[in-house]
Amino acid sequence: MSVADQNTRDEARGGLDADRLLTLACVGLPLIGLILFFAYPMAIVFLRSITVGESYGLGNYAEVLGSSGFWRATRHSLIMGGATTALSVLLGFVIAHGLYRCAFPGKWIIRSVIVLPLLAPSLVQALGLIFLLGRNGVVSRALGVEIEIYGFWGLLIANTLYALPQAVMIIGAALVLLDARTYEAAEVMGASPWRQFRDLTIPAARFGILNAAFVCFTVTITDFGNAAVIGGDYSVLATEIYSQVVGQRNFNMGAVVGIMLLLPTVISYTIERQAMKRQRAGQATGQVAYRPSFAPLRDLSMASLSLLICAGIVGVIGIVVYASFVKLWPYNMALSTKHYDITLAGGYSSLWMTIVISLAAAAGGTLAVFLLALGLRRLPPAVAQPIQILAAMPAAVPGMVLGLAYILTFNSTATPLYLLYGSAALIAIVNFYHYHTQGFLTVMTGFRQLPQALEEAAGSLGAGLARSARDVVAPFIAPMLVSVFFFLFMRSMVTLSAVVFLTTPDLSVAAVTIMRLDDAGLTSQAAAFSTCVMAVVCVAVLFMKVTLALMGRRTRAKGEA
Amino acid sequence: MYLTVCDATKTYGNFTALDRVSIEIEKGEFVCLLGPSGCGKTTLLRLIAGLTDLDGGEISLEGSPLSDLPARKRGFGIVFQSYSLFPNMTIAENIGYGLKIRGAPNEEINARVTDLLALVKLPHLADNFPGQLSGGQQQRIALARAIAVDPRVLLLDEPLSALDAKVRAELRDEIRQVQRSLGIPTLMVTHDQEEALALADKIICMNHGVVVQAGTPEELYHRPATRFVAEFMGISNLLSAEQVERHYPDLLATRPSSESAYLACIRPEQIGVTPDEDGMSSVRSISFLGNLRRLEVDTPGGPLLVETHGANPCQEGTRVSLNIQPHACTWVIDDAAQHATSPA
Repeated sequence: MSVADQNTRDEARGGLDADRLLTLACVGLPLIGLILFFAYPMAIVFLRSITVGESYGLGNYAEVLGSSGFWRATRHSLIMGGATTALSVLLGFVIAHGLYRCAFPGKWIIRSVIVLPLLAPSLVQALGLIFLLGRNGVVSRALGVEIEIYGFWGLLIANTLYALPQAVMIIGAALVLLDARTYEAAEVMGASPWRQFRDLTIPAARFGILNAAFVCFTVTITDFGNAAVIGGDYSVLATEIYSQVVGQRNFNMGAVVGIMLLLPTVISYTIERQAMKRQRAGQATGQVAYRPSFAPLRDLSMASLSLLICAGIVGVIGIVVYASFVKLWPYNMALSTKHYDITLAGGYSSLWMTIVISLAAAAGGTLAVFLLALGLRRLPPAVAQPIQILAAMPAAVPGMVLGLAYILTFNSTATPLYLLYGSAALIAIVNFYHYHTQGFLTVMTGFRQLPQALEEAAGSLGAGLARSARDVVAPFIAPMLVSVFFFLFMRSMVTLSAVVFLTTPDLSVAAVTIMRLDDAGLTSQAAAFSTCVMAVVCVAVLFMKVTLALMGRRTRAKGEA
Repeated sequence: MYLTVCDATKTYGNFTALDRVSIEIEKGEFVCLLGPSGCGKTTLLRLIAGLTDLDGGEISLEGSPLSDLPARKRGFGIVFQSYSLFPNMTIAENIGYGLKIRGAPNEEINARVTDLLALVKLPHLADNFPGQLSGGQQQRIALARAIAVDPRVLLLDEPLSALDAKVRAELRDEIRQVQRSLGIPTLMVTHDQEEALALADKIICMNHGVVVQAGTPEELYHRPATRFVAEFMGISNLLSAEQVERHYPDLLATRPSSESAYLACIRPEQIGVTPDEDGMSSVRSISFLGNLRRLEVDTPGGPLLVETHGANPCQEGTRVSLNIQPHACTWVIDDAAQHATSPA
């Protein structure tokens, strides 16, 4: 059949087909968003990095590469990334192994504590460390020693606490994949527990560990909050961009550093995606969950180690909450709520604004990724694949770089997009695209679990795309959509790096306010504000759990179907 | 002819899943597509359902072509191996879904759902969710859901394969009963020849993307056209023309031509066996299968399988003589020369 024939046939079939139009709309609208709010700004960053005066050239790069400050920041970023990765993967493996391969009571405590750092702006770890180990910290004063917490060590601990939850989740997910039958087979063949650990557990977790390492590395070198609060003189690339842009108003140089920061994250993200694929390939269906039996030596040591780490997390975050209620840290430790009377930096208005922005980002974002995933399933792979790759790209872009891209793109009167500049809508948009990948991939995972036969059955019964999306697909992946909604909400509540460039004196968000308060020396008020943010996020988590539990109850055991 | 598939072709890259396949289904007929996995039977079913696009050929229903009609407009009913009930809907909602899409009034839907639940003998489960049902129950509901809309054709894609033996036999009889009483033209895909023999009015035996033989269960079992069909439809003794010439010359009379491409196919229950001290053959082994015994007998022309019912005086090592009537022998084309296939 000739190409022309194929086309006329397609037209004859597609011309009147509402489903086809709907598919195009499903993919088209989110795709326009991706291009306008991700691809285009990223192109602008690149162009600005090579803009010298009125023409293009590599002058900016030469200048940046020639400055000792840049090389110091790069070295620091790499060392910090490496050290944090090593530490958090090690601790993450201990905890994940404890959770999924050991038998001891109270695992729910570890499970709940371990996610705490994700529920707070990243600078909360830094604040907590200052209250614990800083010059006026609880520990320093109790021991009467002066610890220099600002700088490498403080930043290392803060970053590790921040990266740890992700390491535990990723390694845990890899360990869970190995089912009980495998261990039973090894047991019957006479393998000792140590051999089983070495020959089964470790190989199963291999890709998880690799994956976790890359995620931790990326998270660390792109994080801005911790570095800004506790980094001190230990400059890293993220703070370098900030000082170039905000301190020296040198946008082109900021763009160059941004592109430089992009390199390691893109590489690391690419490798991580490959590792994920390998892991998925090794997955089998019809698994039997592993139920470890009690082994005193292994379980007691794992349990105490895990609990110790958890105690550290609780201590660091708890001290922030505690300090927010202390009258005058560290001199008058009486309790009071006076720090909650925040007047500086716009008071609580930024908190309410952040909640509105987060709800908008979550609702719009969830809808967008759902439509995109729904439409992509119906497109030929040759078309769907490039879109899928684009949709998975934002995760490789550090928040600082995305924020910078936005200010360069939207603070320019060259296009009508300028209208968005300084609006809450733009902050909601940047938050969504910052976390686009995670949301998109979660929904795609949901779609992958949706049996094809289910949609086919609906189709044979006469349901069109809209109908089967509403009645069959959406209910099936509803739990995933709920997770994506709350994920986007919580991330938008606490993120700092992307939005730090987009706030204006009239429009601020919670994490930026915390940073401003801390900068102004109002550490206790910063703690109070952080506590409020954490409270909002905890309520959101509660809502999510309740929603998911209710959905689970309605169709109990539907996983079997 | 009610449903006709003419020269249907489907390729995936270099792999030809279906090669100019033509089949026909008459009104009220129960047709089984039978073949080993990868033979193209499921692809054919999906083409008919409209879930996969044809690369060539034509499918038509009562003379009008279906090819440009999407699955949802064909008005067929389909049941998958994996049950595929909508997990978020109750059993009643599942069954009534097709009618709801067609805009039927609620009373009508409720009445129909009640009838169908009674038909599949699960009237008490209307308000349950699929996850609370056993596999057999889910598959009955899937059947009810498919026939709720009075489908023009009922398509069954290995509907029994995921069930255990006893449930499978029960549901098999039920499918047959429902299909007979409603008279819906039905096409079922299966790899189980016993299932096909028990259910079908017509069996279409497929291999490597082509139809090897189509006919009634009796025809396929007793008069297989090729070695593949003979082996797929049960156990058979296959003897080369040379072997027959040397040891059973009586059987040569029925040979269609003197070509050596033909093999003699003799079903084991067609061979008579009697203990005989002077017999040329001896029993090598006996398998007790409950209602019958299967003997492996060493003969001068090589080993033969023999099945006997009832009491059997033979022991392992007993000398016997065999009796094969000429009419018991079918001559089949040796199509396994190119493709090695083993009996099911």
